[in-house]
Amino acid sequence: MRIEDVVCPFCGCLCDDLVVSVEGTKVLSVENGCTLATEKFTGDHRLAHPIRRTGGAWEKTTYDDAIRETAEILLDAERPLLYGWSGTFVEAQTLGVHMAELLGAVIDNTSTVCHGPSIMAIQEVGHPGCTLGQVKNRADVIVYWGANPIEAHPRHMSRYTTFTDGFFVKSAFRERKVIVVDIRETDSSEIADEFVKVTPGGDYAVLTALRMIVRGKGDLVPATVSGVTREQLFRVAEICLSARFGAIFFGLGLTMSRGKSKNIRNAIELTEELNRHTKFTISPMRGHWNVYGSNEVFTWITGYPYAVDFSRGIAFYNPGETTSVDLLRRKECDACLVVASDPGAHFPRACAEHLASIPTVQIDPHVNATTHLSRIQIPVAVTGIDAEGTAYRMDGVPIRTRKLFSTGYPDDVAVLGRVYSLVKEAKG
Amino acid sequence: MRVILKTRPRKKPHVPIEAEGIIPQNFLRKNDLTVYEGNRERNLEDLFFVTVEGPAVSPDQVEIILTGDTGRIKRVGEYMNAGRIIIEGDIGMHCGNFMSAGEIIIRGNADAWLGREMRGGRILCEGTAGDYCGAGYRGEKRGMRGGTIEVMGNAGDFVAEYLSGGEVIIHGNCGDLPGVEMRGGTLVIGGNCSRPCGNMTGGTCMVIGDPGELLPSFRRNGSTEVEFGGKKFRMAVFRGDVANRGKGTLLVKEEAIISRSGRDERL
Repeated sequence: MRIEDVVCPFCGCLCDDLVVSVEGTKVLSVENGCTLATEKFTGDHRLAHPIRRTGGAWEKTTYDDAIRETAEILLDAERPLLYGWSGTFVEAQTLGVHMAELLGAVIDNTSTVCHGPSIMAIQEVGHPGCTLGQVKNRADVIVYWGANPIEAHPRHMSRYTTFTDGFFVKSAFRERKVIVVDIRETDSSEIADEFVKVTPGGDYAVLTALRMIVRGKGDLVPATVSGVTREQLFRVAEICLSARFGAIFFGLGLTMSRGKSKNIRNAIELTEELNRHTKFTISPMRGHWNVYGSNEVFTWITGYPYAVDFSRGIAFYNPGETTSVDLLRRKECDACLVVASDPGAHFPRACAEHLASIPTVQIDPHVNATTHLSRIQIPVAVTGIDAEGTAYRMDGVPIRTRKLFSTGYPDDVAVLGRVYSLVKEAKG
Repeated sequence: MRVILKTRPRKKPHVPIEAEGIIPQNFLRKNDLTVYEGNRERNLEDLFFVTVEGPAVSPDQVEIILTGDTGRIKRVGEYMNAGRIIIEGDIGMHCGNFMSAGEIIIRGNADAWLGREMRGGRILCEGTAGDYCGAGYRGEKRGMRGGTIEVMGNAGDFVAEYLSGGEVIIHGNCGDLPGVEMRGGTLVIGGNCSRPCGNMTGGTCMVIGDPGELLPSFRRNGSTEVEFGGKKFRMAVFRGDVANRGKGTLLVKEEAIISRSGRDERL
């Protein structure tokens, strides 16, 4: 059976034009998708049933027992952490936040090791952003800063920027200029009209220099700034100033390098400065397909986008204090529930070690690095393949993912709903 | 009056304690103070051996002494307005938040956000301080507004972010971006740092050690002589951050500038 307009649950692009052929519960082929999408739909390493660690070995257990034990672990903890959420749909995320409030837990999503600093900067100076449709139809200057879309978001360029024509950009190839800023040559930098190579950790100074030039204080810019020549800085500023509509996209090269949120703040202030002369926007290249959704859900329920601490009964937010990596590094948590993400693979070693030393429960369809740190793993359906639910694209547009077939696995809402009921019963 | 709070051994010593109730005015008369251990509310006596010596009629006669395993206790001295707190060891985050008067002395190290949004009074940290010492809360437009923080050791990143008034003195080194977004007050760094005063709009920052790389957005504006720790230093004066129409002052040791002049054509 051929299913059209399938939404891809892999990266923040959330492409909604895939054509997937299925037979029973098997995906035969994926059209329009990138390699990452094909791999996600055809990959098949699902855990068959819940597992539980006893002694040094895994044993098979039932959903009933696994869910009951999960609730007991969380209720017993003085500082439980509910981490992940970016790989599931918003209905499940909503349940997670309500459960965190009941438990007095800390709830955090993967922005904490990703675009969290971007949100901190936005809280300081705002976000001059737009949807990807605006970029596609209007932008004649595209800047990728600290991002490598060809490898990380393979269809970003062909759906929204460099390789696609828009309503006001009739011939993208001729009319769109692409600037790539990175610390090394990448596949993306090869197709750039202007590649700016910055010494690692030097982005803040380069952004400052560009702001000075746009503001008319270019006389003060020295011969080189963080490895970038004065001439190139002026050239880049000129390209931006002569744009009709410019769009800056930035990735983890900017958020997770030295300066962190201050880099993003500087980039936003450059965007504001450019807006005195022409139209410019700035947007983060979000990673997980529904990480934006987790920020939305957390914010509409608690007022804060990630790292929300309910231990005092009210929501408190302070990255650096209530963020997962910091909590785990300081060994604060005494229990952890991981939903739809893989901190075992992405967190620093000290954090993974602490996860292994406390009761950690994972709710995830697949066996991954976190499985090896967990006491219990409960497999669920994969949203966008055998479960459906709402997700938010990287520009904040909600898109409902589709269910291609039924496998009999419960979805995240079914499992979390039962844990929530047990917690609610105990808390009264 | 002297109140001695000695920590009791805990089953989970890493779980943080939030104790904004530990301020001098709360000990004037006997009341049931509670603190939070993780998500559990506890009586002060459950976590501390409490000894009270002598009387007091006003909060400025109260001295609190914290001893034992105090490195995980957060928010001690929050909103304090009189008296004195002496911490014999390390202290957790947010010590002296919003304090307006009185004195806090820390014999060990302080964790992040020491004296966050402080309005007045004095904090002395004899060890090292963490990140965001004398800074503001996330998204807040003003950090510390008055009073003095003195750190004898080093401090972390983003020291005195959004500093708006008062004085922060770090005798050791600072991390990255001290005085970032600074808009008033004085920041003195006795040691080294990197990228001081990014985006500053006002106030004065003085770096006695090596300032590391300077941002390109500071305009040289003569030199001056200052005194620090009983010694005189010849300082280069910069105005900035010009990317932000800033009118702040950054003083950097002249020798540090000369040794770097090969790399920086402004000098």
